[in-house]
Formats: sequence, structure tokens, C-alpha cells
Amino acid sequence: MNPKNNLLIGAIIAVVVVMSYDVGVDPIAFVDGIPNLGIVLKEMTEFESEHWGTAFWAMLETIEMAFVGTIAGVVISLPLSIFAARNISSKYVYVPLRALLAATRTFPSILWAILFVIMVGLGPFAGILAITLYTIGFISKLQYESIEAIDYDPVEATTAIGLSKIQLIRYVIIPESAPHLLSQILYMFDYNVRQTSILGIVGAGGIGFYIINYIKFFEYGKAAVFMLVVLIAVLAIDWISVKIRDRYIMKAQHGQQVKVKTN
Amino acid sequence: MVTQNTASFSSIATLSIIQMRNVSASYDSQNFVLKNVSMNVKRGTNYAIVGASGSGKSTLLKLMNGMMIPSSGVVLYNYQKPDLKNKEYKKSIAKIGYISQTLGLVKNSSVLDNVLIGALPRLNAVKSFLKMFPKDEIDTAHEVLNLVGLDTKSNRKVHMLSGGEKRRVAIARALMQKPDILLADEIVSELDSVTAREVMDVIKDAQRKFKLTAIMIHHDMNLALEYANRVAVIKDGDKVLEIGVDGEQIIDFQTGDLTQEEIMEMYNEPQK
Repeated sequence: MNPKNNLLIGAIIAVVVVMSYDVGVDPIAFVDGIPNLGIVLKEMTEFESEHWGTAFWAMLETIEMAFVGTIAGVVISLPLSIFAARNISSKYVYVPLRALLAATRTFPSILWAILFVIMVGLGPFAGILAITLYTIGFISKLQYESIEAIDYDPVEATTAIGLSKIQLIRYVIIPESAPHLLSQILYMFDYNVRQTSILGIVGAGGIGFYIINYIKFFEYGKAAVFMLVVLIAVLAIDWISVKIRDRYIMKAQHGQQVKVKTN
Repeated sequence: MVTQNTASFSSIATLSIIQMRNVSASYDSQNFVLKNVSMNVKRGTNYAIVGASGSGKSTLLKLMNGMMIPSSGVVLYNYQKPDLKNKEYKKSIAKIGYISQTLGLVKNSSVLDNVLIGALPRLNAVKSFLKMFPKDEIDTAHEVLNLVGLDTKSNRKVHMLSGGEKRRVAIARALMQKPDILLADEIVSELDSVTAREVMDVIKDAQRKFKLTAIMIHHDMNLALEYANRVAVIKDGDKVLEIGVDGEQIIDFQTGDLTQEEIMEMYNEPQK
């Protein structure tokens, strides 16, 4: 390792120490607090089984919200990503559009949820709008980047044939940039389910509403039931998306040479 | 200029399909890739252009299909000036089948979809957006795929094909344009000599069937002499000579009289 690196690492450590002091990091409080965690955990193990049903339906609502929001967001993103791509669109379109998309990504969806609760009232619809908006910001960015990265040869060749811009987008740009889309949608859905789980905190629907209220009233046993359902659902969705990815995306990228797992 | 009689063709065959007059071209307005080149391509001719790398061959084709505008001189296609910004011209270039060195295929689409791209200039916006091709266009697509020997693989994705097969798809797409001229830029250079000849035979068949004029760039002088009936040799942006293979007639512009063997010695580069 050279001295320059050592200096850099030293500087980073110094900055971390100074900043920690500034924001009041207190390791002693952490160690002292461990017994408190024990109390919470002990109460959490006292499941109140009559809540499983409620938890299940609340989680289903959460997943429905995430699904509707993700699909709506993706559908809106596709045309937007074409307008935001530098290699297709005009400067006067993509510059403001990109700024707008960046703005939607600036805040986490929970802040958008607060705004939509004010707009359309409490309930899942506000949550769906928040998820949709956040998905638009994210998927559009991923898509316009993959559109900008496509091979220029087919674009040139088909322009020489005399294709119109719409035909070019339909027959060259979309097929060439699509292989990543499925993987992006799966990732986004996965992420949105976790996001939607906490939107209930601000009254925008979903399972978070129950979790935050039981925690507020120190009913950790009830909250634990709901948290466990979230955990199971997220793990299940994760597992399913891995399966979908293996089946479709591996094939799309490597022809028929799908890797066979040996276990 | 060449005034070789092509009596076997009808009167339309004697008309020029592409004319170049004193054309110079440059990418940066300083270094000229082509210098004062004149060419007259008659209908039905099977032209080959040969020359070393960087001699300006590809530029010549790009000028012919209007993807590039000459710095000076004129290029005429069917007696009209190529200009991609002109709507009328854009309609007429649907009749120029152009295959670039990199082929320009849509790798994630099927063979059939790639071939159908050649028919798109004939389809209106709504129908092409919904991918609603008329039945006769789809039949034509299968017909050209059959001609290039790929009909059994029409649903295969292009990235799964071999190099020779990809070239056949590009040829099929060009034929789907119902072209009257086929421009091809070194499309067989990367293939081994057996596969290269198979692909060239496909083009030869298509040419006969559709009465195409063809201008093909070759890296290999042997292939050029084997398949073309006129060969133009380019060196450093100048067209140095033109050979009529049919009548063993050698027309020399600048280098003095050379025999065919001497020309081959000069410009035949070792194969990759």
C-alpha cells in the first residue's frame, strides 16, 4: 500500500470521528440499551395469533398497491424514457424532462405519499400514486440509459432503409433496449413492496398502518405478527423474482445456454 | 468513359442507375477521403470495388445511398440527388438496398422481424406500430428467407445465428426492400473463403432473380474478379482503374497499361 492511500484512509477515519461526535454517537448508550431490546424481543415472542388474518389481508393490500403502482409507473415510463434519451430526442425535450424525472427521485416515496394524502385523502390510493411517481422517476432513468447504450449500427442501417422515427423506435430501439426491462421491473416491484409496507405510517394504506400504531401503543406482540408477515412476503417475492430472472432473462442474454444449477 | 455495349439488355438497362461526377468527400473538410472520383453505374451491372483499408471504399457507398453528402461534385441516383432530409428522396431510397459492414441487424429480434423491417417504408404509421403486416408482405418475407436458405430459422433470434447466417438475414432484409440496386460493404470479409462464397452465391441468385444492379465492396481481389463483371480499384481516395471482367478489357485511367495479374499483385492483400 502506498503512503497516499494511507493518508486517504486516515483522513476518512478522522472525518468519521468528527462527524460522529457532531451528531452525538454514543457507544455507551448503545451497550446500556441492550437490555431494553431484550424486553421488546420478549414481548414480541408473545404472538397474538388472532391477528394473523388481519395481517394477511393487510399484506395482500400492500402487495396489490405495490403491483398497481409499479405497472402504472412502468407504462408511463416507457414513452418518457424515449423522450428523455439523448440519442433520439431533441435537447429542448430531454433537458427539462430529465430535470423533472430527477426531481421525482429526490424524495423517498413516503414524502410523496404525504403530499398525495393531502391531495386525495387517506387510504391506499394515495400510496399507489406515491409508488407510481417514484417508479416513473426510477424506471425512466434506467430505461433512457439503456436506450442510450444501444448499438448504433442497426439505427444507422434502418435509417438508410428509410424508416420513420416511430418505426425506428418500435422496431429497433425498443427491442434493443428491452432485455433489461424485465429485470428492472422485478427489481422495482421488489423495492416497492418494501416501500409500500411503510407508507401506512403516513396514512397512505398498507400494512405499515398497523405496525406503526401497535408500536406506538407498546403492543409489540401484535406488531411482531405484522412484521413477520412482511418478512415472509418480501422473502417470497424475492424468491419468485429470482426464479423469473433465471427462466427468462438468462435465456434472453445467452441464447439457449441457460445455466443449470447443480444442487 | 466506358461505352461497352450491353446489347443483351433492354433499352432501360443502358440507363445509368448511379452517376458520380468528380466527387470529393471528407469527414473533417481537411483530409479528403475521396478525390475527384467519377463513376457511371449502368443498370444490371455487377460492380465490385476493391482497395486497401482506408482507401475510401465505404465512403463511396455512403455517398451513393445519401448517408453522406459530397464536399464537391455530384452523385445522382436515378438522376436525382441523394439527400436524406428530402422527403421525396427518402421515399425513393427505399429502393436502395444497403448492407453495411456491421450489417446493422436488430440482435434481439427474430429473423423474420428483421427481414420485415425492409418492408416498413411501404407500411403506414399505425399499421407498422401495431406490427400489422399485410399477408402478402409476410409471404414475400418467407419467400426471400427461402431464397437465402433461412426459412426454417425464421423465428430464431438474430444473436443466436452464425456469421454466415447473419449475412443471409441482412441480404434478405435488403431484398425485402424490393430494391433495384444492392450496395454491400465488405460483408463477406470476415468469413472463411468457403462461407464467403456461399454468401456470394446467395447474392448472385438473388441478383438473377430480381434483376438487381449490385455494387459490392471487396477486400479480396479474387472474390471481386470471380463474381463481378466490372471492378473498380481505389487507392488513396482516387479511382485508379476500372476493369471489365467480361470482355477481359482493361481500362486504365492513370497508371498506364497493366495486366490483370499485375493488378491483382498490387491490390490483393493477404487474407485475414
